[in-house]
Amino acid sequence: MRIPEYQTPELRRKNVRLAWGLAGLALFFLITSFPFWSGIFRVVGTQAMQ
Amino acid sequence: MSTTTLSHDEAHHHDAPKGWKRWLFSTNHKDIGTLYLLFALTMLFLGGASAMLIRMELFMPGIQMLDPDLYNNLVTNHALIMIFGAVMPAAAGLANWMIPMMIGAPDMALPRMNNLSFWVLPAAATMLILSFVVPFFPGGGTQINTGWTLYPPLSVQVGMSMDFLIFAVHLLGISSVLASINIIVTLLNMRAPGMSLFKMPMFCWTWLVTAFLLILVVPVLAGGVTMLLFDRHFGTSFFDAAGGGDPVLFQHLFWFFGHPEVYILLLPSIGVLSHVIPAFARKPLFGYKSMVGAMLAVATIGMVVWAHHQYTIGMSLGAVTYFMIGTILISIPVGLMIFNFIATMWRGAMTFETPMLFAVGIVLMFTFGGLSGVMLAVVPADMQYHDSMFVVAHFHYVLMPGAVFGLFAGVFYWLPKWTGHMYDEKLGKLFFWINVISFNITFFPQHFLGLAGMPRRIVDYNMIFTEFNVVSSIGAMVFGLSHLLFLYIIIKTIRGGKKAEKRAWEGAKGLEWELDSPPAFHTWTVAPQIK
Repeated sequence: MRIPEYQTPELRRKNVRLAWGLAGLALFFLITSFPFWSGIFRVVGTQAMQ
Repeated sequence: MSTTTLSHDEAHHHDAPKGWKRWLFSTNHKDIGTLYLLFALTMLFLGGASAMLIRMELFMPGIQMLDPDLYNNLVTNHALIMIFGAVMPAAAGLANWMIPMMIGAPDMALPRMNNLSFWVLPAAATMLILSFVVPFFPGGGTQINTGWTLYPPLSVQVGMSMDFLIFAVHLLGISSVLASINIIVTLLNMRAPGMSLFKMPMFCWTWLVTAFLLILVVPVLAGGVTMLLFDRHFGTSFFDAAGGGDPVLFQHLFWFFGHPEVYILLLPSIGVLSHVIPAFARKPLFGYKSMVGAMLAVATIGMVVWAHHQYTIGMSLGAVTYFMIGTILISIPVGLMIFNFIATMWRGAMTFETPMLFAVGIVLMFTFGGLSGVMLAVVPADMQYHDSMFVVAHFHYVLMPGAVFGLFAGVFYWLPKWTGHMYDEKLGKLFFWINVISFNITFFPQHFLGLAGMPRRIVDYNMIFTEFNVVSSIGAMVFGLSHLLFLYIIIKTIRGGKKAEKRAWEGAKGLEWELDSPPAFHTWTVAPQIK
């Protein structure tokens, strides 16, 4: 991609910023799959046993 | 799609690099798209070969040729190869090729990350294949006999091949998430001036939703298999009841990923259909905004109904009722999409070239798969059908027409654009008919087998199930071999054929058809203006 119109620092920064934001979202879901979901499912599991 | 003023200078492009470096170091979306598609095709044959072995074994009752654990290993690998190796990379290949051309962007937003997304895949595939191969070697441990769902406690007890599989899943997940980030950034930041979100081609919309789904659910699977790895090697007991854990937790984590995964596989093909049907009906897509809304509804509801795969684990009545109602609700937006496709065809000047044949076939067969899905969503009925061949028939009717045939339609539709040659229409139609008829011969009888009580994932069966299994296996052999014809058509088209025009199909609309066939190495060097 060697097109000046698409190589502005602003666009590049905007792209990288959004990419990091999305990566953060993915990381959030990864991390919360441990304590958060396990807590939720433990509650569901407890109810199921009753 | 609105009209465009083209001002790009197609003569201004750099030549493609030569040799292996072109592919290994590529940051060009078309080359990476080609790599994805070739990878997917290879894995399609690998997964297909495992399916044919499965059906050979099931041709007659009794153990014919496969050790039961090997049979289960084949079942596991068939699913993983087809889902992660064939369908997802093929859809990513279409996305790489088409999204920048459709939105008037010169390439993906993050081209080097695009290269990484692809080249993680061969490493992942190697790990996946090793997980199958390792048990054959001395000290290689037991075969993976868990099925693709990898449920503990069985998956904790399997030998080292499971570790290869867990790392394969990690790598596949990394590839998917990186590709999804790239697609979202491209679609949100790189659209041509004047192309608002609601002027975006439907294929791009389907990929926008798919990419968000991937980012939300793949990390949860990664979390689940990481916990599995810890249970296997580091003394934790996330899924071990004896240590205070819960094996059902893994099922929840898996299906929190696994159910949206169905829509991840389906939506790109829905996007393909949204281009193919208007092109061959010579009418604009009926209900563009309602399609977008339906897609968002499918994605949203699809994220919160995962436990309909686990009705038999003993959830509370309230929980199963919620999951049942939620699952049935999905049929409303999916039905809306199907009705939009039918309304697009209604009174259109339709012609039935190969992509359109696949599109019509999808509308019919995917609807059938959806209806058996509604049956499975109903809790008391599912208690009977659960883990039977009925479920196998159901999800193959959803995923083959819904995902794979959609990808075939896309390949035939865009092949002239990619190669610059028209494919052999007679051979294309022949492939369609053999493929579709043999598909139905393979999977339709499996509904009856399931209803009669034949369990799935089992190497041997009662003699009363013989006839339908014989029919299904014969169909499967024809179905599997028919893909050689598909391969031949593609090779023939790449090597030559009638020259394709810019707009290869009379009714085709969109920016991609303003470009040469095949397009220059660098396209949209100046952004097109969308009016």
